[in-house]
Amino acid sequence: MGTGALTSLGIRAMTASYAQLQTTSNNIANVNTKGYSRQEAQLVTAGGQFTGAGFFGRGVDIATVTRAHDDFLTREASLSTALAAADSARSEQLLRLEKVFGTGEAGLGFAANQMFNAFADVASKPQDLSSRQVVIERAGELARRFAIAGEQIDELQGGVTVELKASVAQVNDLTKQIALLNQKISNYSGTTKPPNDMLDQRDQAIQDLSKLVQVTTIGADDGSLSVFMGAGQALVLGSQTTSLVAMPDPYDASRVAVGLSTAGGNQALPASLLTGGSIAGLVRFQSTDITDARNLLGQMALAVGLQTNEQQSLGIDLYGQTGAGMFRFGSASGLPVVAASGSSFNSGSASVALTLQSPSTLSGLGVSSVQPSDYRLTADGAGGFELARLKDGELDTSFTPVSVVNGDVVEGFKIAISGAAAAGDTFLLRPCGTAALNMRLDMSNPKLIAAASPLSGTLGATNAGTGAIGAMTFGSTDVAANANLPVTLKFQTTIVPGQYTYTWTNAGGTTTVPNVWSPGQPIPYSGAAASDSFSVLITGVPVAADASASPAVTSDTFVFGANSYTSADNTNAKALLGLRDAAFVGAIWNAGTLEPGASVTDAFASIIAHIGVSVQSATNSAQLSADVAAETEQARSSKAGVNLDEEAARLIQYQQSYQAAAKMLQVAQSVFETLLQTAGR
Amino acid sequence: MRISSANAYDNTIETLQRRQSDLSDLQTRLTSGKRVLKASDDPAAAARAERALAAEMRSETSQRSVDASQVIVSQTESALGDAGELLQQIRETLVASGNASYSDRERSQLAASLKGMRQQLLAVANRSDGAGSYLFGGQGSSQPPFIDKPAGVQFSGTSGRLQTDTDTELPLSTDGAATWLNASTGNGVFVTSSALNSVSGSEITGATVDAGSVSDPSALFPVPDTGYRIHFSSSSTYDIESYSLSSGLTSYESTGTYQPGVAIDLHGMSVTVSGTPTTGDQFNIEPSTPTLSVFDSIDQAIAGLQTPNRTTAQRLQSTADSLRDIDASMATLNLVRTAAGGTLNRIDNETSRLATQKLSAQTTRSNAEDLDMVEAIADFQNQQTGYEAALKSYSMVQKMSLFQYLGG
Repeated sequence: MGTGALTSLGIRAMTASYAQLQTTSNNIANVNTKGYSRQEAQLVTAGGQFTGAGFFGRGVDIATVTRAHDDFLTREASLSTALAAADSARSEQLLRLEKVFGTGEAGLGFAANQMFNAFADVASKPQDLSSRQVVIERAGELARRFAIAGEQIDELQGGVTVELKASVAQVNDLTKQIALLNQKISNYSGTTKPPNDMLDQRDQAIQDLSKLVQVTTIGADDGSLSVFMGAGQALVLGSQTTSLVAMPDPYDASRVAVGLSTAGGNQALPASLLTGGSIAGLVRFQSTDITDARNLLGQMALAVGLQTNEQQSLGIDLYGQTGAGMFRFGSASGLPVVAASGSSFNSGSASVALTLQSPSTLSGLGVSSVQPSDYRLTADGAGGFELARLKDGELDTSFTPVSVVNGDVVEGFKIAISGAAAAGDTFLLRPCGTAALNMRLDMSNPKLIAAASPLSGTLGATNAGTGAIGAMTFGSTDVAANANLPVTLKFQTTIVPGQYTYTWTNAGGTTTVPNVWSPGQPIPYSGAAASDSFSVLITGVPVAADASASPAVTSDTFVFGANSYTSADNTNAKALLGLRDAAFVGAIWNAGTLEPGASVTDAFASIIAHIGVSVQSATNSAQLSADVAAETEQARSSKAGVNLDEEAARLIQYQQSYQAAAKMLQVAQSVFETLLQTAGR
Repeated sequence: MRISSANAYDNTIETLQRRQSDLSDLQTRLTSGKRVLKASDDPAAAARAERALAAEMRSETSQRSVDASQVIVSQTESALGDAGELLQQIRETLVASGNASYSDRERSQLAASLKGMRQQLLAVANRSDGAGSYLFGGQGSSQPPFIDKPAGVQFSGTSGRLQTDTDTELPLSTDGAATWLNASTGNGVFVTSSALNSVSGSEITGATVDAGSVSDPSALFPVPDTGYRIHFSSSSTYDIESYSLSSGLTSYESTGTYQPGVAIDLHGMSVTVSGTPTTGDQFNIEPSTPTLSVFDSIDQAIAGLQTPNRTTAQRLQSTADSLRDIDASMATLNLVRTAAGGTLNRIDNETSRLATQKLSAQTTRSNAEDLDMVEAIADFQNQQTGYEAALKSYSMVQKMSLFQYLGG
């Protein structure tokens, strides 16, 4: 055995140590590189040489350079990143949405209350123009706050659209990178040595992709990874990619849906298929939170606006005219008309418009007031339509679809259909979606506030009882045009003790048949025309004529006539003030009985609570998923990441083994020299 | 477990940032004094605060209504005080006019001073609140509500009164008709009056009748639409007759003997005729009606004083009638004034109730959204200490690296 073996051993050892030093230095160099996995030079013994004395080791060989990597942990990290990204995208948007609904003095509830409260001052001084002016100012402030809130929601929608488009472009970028890396990696599939850095890059690209959209990966034999999203739609197959597209919503071009570009054209992906990544968070925010916010806001705007307008129409202004509407929605006064958006896939020529109905029309027909929902109208092609309610952008299964035709009044609105719809044509109905945005003050002259009632009631001069005139209810101010006014209400006792009957005597002297009076119930008066009828509530106990009593008792009378002095009257101003407490927001009819909704204060308080809870739970889940993501990342990095202390120790270790190997060469050299010296003598 | 150096740095930085943001969040709360800055801080409390704010505004609004009512009611009360004084003066003048030594001329002078007082009284009835509406305007009236017409002063308006909103229901005006024009005639139950002599067809000259009194309330006016008449068939006997108020149809009831100054009892009423009646003198007794106008009473008194050449009995009768009517009107005005006083009292109660209500709403709101300062400051110090500790430990840990010890 010559000294060559020793030299060879030394050289091998030096090469191996040098390789180890190289990988360690590379690790130190890449300590902060994203996605970098710690590498290690794997050494094997070079085998032995058989001699008569047995095997002599031939030193060390470098087998390969491996990366510290765990497929499971890497996949786990991607998945938790996807969920965290979805939650945080939604919670960031929700925090912005929350600012639209200010609380306290900055809130809409405060503004609405301020307007209604201002009617108390009009009631105190109906002729005073300054208190009327305050009402106008407050009403203007309320309409402005609604409109601004509507605009802010529109801006949020605009931001979401831009962000979705940018995210889709990023996804396509990343999938192309992955496809390219797949190709490169598969080129190396013939060798047994893994292309560590390319694998790292691909893992990092998938991790980045997961932040945008949740994906699953399946590896192939040639080392390439196929990437799928949602319910198995392939984004990357080997070196082929499928593009995501941001498609305009078929009903509303300001919104975008996420779709796949396939051979058969762009195909929209249902929101439910997007489970993770910021795109899913944004889509969910768009289809659920923005829609809810718009509808809740719109419902309240419509309820306040229409109810105030209706109460105005039941009163008389300072000019002696029937009160005009105080608010309008859009450019025209009167009942708001909303155009429904037809799907861009419709083949028929029909167009659909909704007219929101006044509260009295709705209660007359027994139809619920407007609900904070969107609806879908589907044509059967024969003039009939099916109306279904939507929830979070999909069909609401708790709502039984109803068949409707042109002119039907449902859910607070009247449907007007013109043109012919083909079977399967669909329309998106958003009765309150745009109401807040379009709410405007429609009155500038304070004299137009209808503070007076068209009817006035007086007590007979000889009344001895405690009976007083409560609320008078009528359909329109035409009630005062009844030629038979004034009418006199009179009470008698019946043979049943304590029971009263009443009669009406009109100006012509005609007296009605006595009817039994039940205290606490309004007493109806029916005139010749429908508009003549009204009802009145008598509070307290009137004294009724009693034929059997001695001395004779005379009837208490109540006389109702057209109001001759409307400028001083405050009855309707008090009714307008009373809207403050009326539960008119979202009242619904259920099997013939009216279930009252909420008052403005309560409605707004519950919107605040609703948004607050959404934000809170989104923030909490974002926090939670971020923690989970941090933990999985820590687990992944504890396997794959670089620890500098470790590398420092290794550096010393490999340096020493390098030094030892060098020493081996020195020894070999000295051995050789010793041999030469001995031979040279 | 291996710690990846980069990950360890990332984590440390994130923790420090989170602590810092917590600290700044708490600081914002401390400076604003609010625990709930946005709805998501505590949705239930935010909703509760929203409702409490509405209740607070409502109390303020009601207080404004109460104030508006107070201005009107206190003015009304003072107007009624003025009216009471004027009526007292009128009454004194009337009592003075009964002086038997006065001549017709002196009486017409008194009538002239009564006229002046009547004008003042009318001005009081038409007093405005200084802001365009009338204190006694009822539910609405012409401007002004009381108009002097040939037939006497009339209320042109809708009787009743305006009220503030349903939370307070305080008056914003007073029913002018009921206050000034609708006192009960006579003694409040029935009216006695001298009618024309049935023989001569002229006024009764020798006898007078008093206002009467009720002796048996259960026997009053048993038949509706009926009045009674004391009809002297001679200077010492009289018939009691009943007659229909609507048709005037008369029927005989009974006969009695006249004794001057002795009360005649009929149907629970006791009426005294004095003086010397002559055959055909008759006195009517009718149910009282709420139609007595204070202005009509004064007008009648003035007309009585201005009529010359009347007998003592005639003068006595008209003075007594006028005093009776003025007293009835005064009683009504006093009733309204008492009611106004009662309302002012209620306004005071209402004001303190509203103040309590507002305070309780403010307390609810504060409990819902305000910050507990003591707790918050303690929290803040706690977090500050935590942050300091985090910074310090970071600075210590980051120095610890093997490379530090491998120098040279």
